[in-house]
Amino acid sequence: MENEVYAFALKNTLQEIQNACPDVTSNFIFKDGKIIAKNKNTDKETATQTMEAFDAIAERADPIGDLENITIQSTEGKINIAAMEDFYLTTVSSKEADEKYVNTLTRILIPIVIKLSEKIQPATLDNETITTEPEPEPEEDDAYKPPEENFDLNENKPENNETEEMDQPEEEPAMPEPEPAEEPEQYEPEIDDEPLLPDPPVTQLIVENLGGLLVPSDTVRVDQEVISRWNELFGDNKIKEVEVEALNGKTTRCKFKNIKKSKDTGKGIVKMPEKIQLTLETQQGELVTIKPIIE
Amino acid sequence: MAKKKSAQESATPIFVDEDEIAAPEEEDQTFKDLNEKLAKIRKNRGVIGYILRNTTSATIDLKEPEKIVEYAIFSSQVLDSSQEISNLLETGDVENVLIEGKDNKVLCMKIDGNKISIFMEKDADDTDIQKQISP
Repeated sequence: MENEVYAFALKNTLQEIQNACPDVTSNFIFKDGKIIAKNKNTDKETATQTMEAFDAIAERADPIGDLENITIQSTEGKINIAAMEDFYLTTVSSKEADEKYVNTLTRILIPIVIKLSEKIQPATLDNETITTEPEPEPEEDDAYKPPEENFDLNENKPENNETEEMDQPEEEPAMPEPEPAEEPEQYEPEIDDEPLLPDPPVTQLIVENLGGLLVPSDTVRVDQEVISRWNELFGDNKIKEVEVEALNGKTTRCKFKNIKKSKDTGKGIVKMPEKIQLTLETQQGELVTIKPIIE
Repeated sequence: MAKKKSAQESATPIFVDEDEIAAPEEEDQTFKDLNEKLAKIRKNRGVIGYILRNTTSATIDLKEPEKIVEYAIFSSQVLDSSQEISNLLETGDVENVLIEGKDNKVLCMKIDGNKISIFMEKDADDTDIQKQISP
């Protein structure tokens, strides 16, 4: 599960590296015998076999100590396998590639993304004491409750609001949107008199099923700790909805409430009705990112 | 069946494969030339030692003779696995491989059927050494 946290960010980063440097023909990252992320051009089987060949070298590397870097210069290209934190980045480039440029790009970007990914892991949620507002819902989350006053429940709003995400100009640097903006005309002009707000924090959570006869299908349940942090950050700015993004890049906006069951709090989960899971093409046990929509 | 030996002043052991057929004369000459170059490189600051081998002969000169087998196996593994990786990733025949470890690094090359591994300290100038050994 830990590896999935990195996979999402690293996959996009690898693709961006290739976009920035077309001489990079293939790249992938592995750790502990598993392929963590790869770009589109890389075949998984090839990557796995490469990793195994690398391991064969690493096993016999006693004369030089733990492997840090391998550069293979071949007749038709160059291969570099570099240790980064606990990960190994493999970069395949043409002979014409500017080695310095590629190295600068990869050896700066990848460690940054790894560090940022570590920070947004659910396990690393701050332990600081956060004053939480009393919740009007005393019962467990499966039971239907009328909408809370601070949540604007627009019942007729469509579930799949993928185009509405274009209204959110702010993005986290570590988690670039995998789908580039296709309809830039939908961006709304910026309003100058708006007070400066911090970027909406992106929280990575694990999907858990939320079922029941009276459970609203357009509302996810989020840890109170996360909601409290949003409230602290944005104060009077009402947060009525959240944007949920699955690992496959699908996004949707939906309403949210806090998780009521004490046994589910602090576990880094988001409880999600089946309808939203279908929209996002995700399922229980998978990771999604959630950020608040600031009105 | 010809039996070939490579002699070099500071070389420690010599591996000989008696079953191999004698190398062509030009290959033998390349081996000798490389041996001479490597003997000079061996004196460079930071160079720990080297292994030179072809199908019939080998010369090994290392600071730690008791670890010769370990170095030889590693050297062989590097060239074999590197070629395997290169085949998988479709980059053609391996010309040279630089492997950096926590303590030392090794430069492996293939020149006219001769396989060379030069072990050096991390701060040694591998680019300069590569220039010296290249034809």
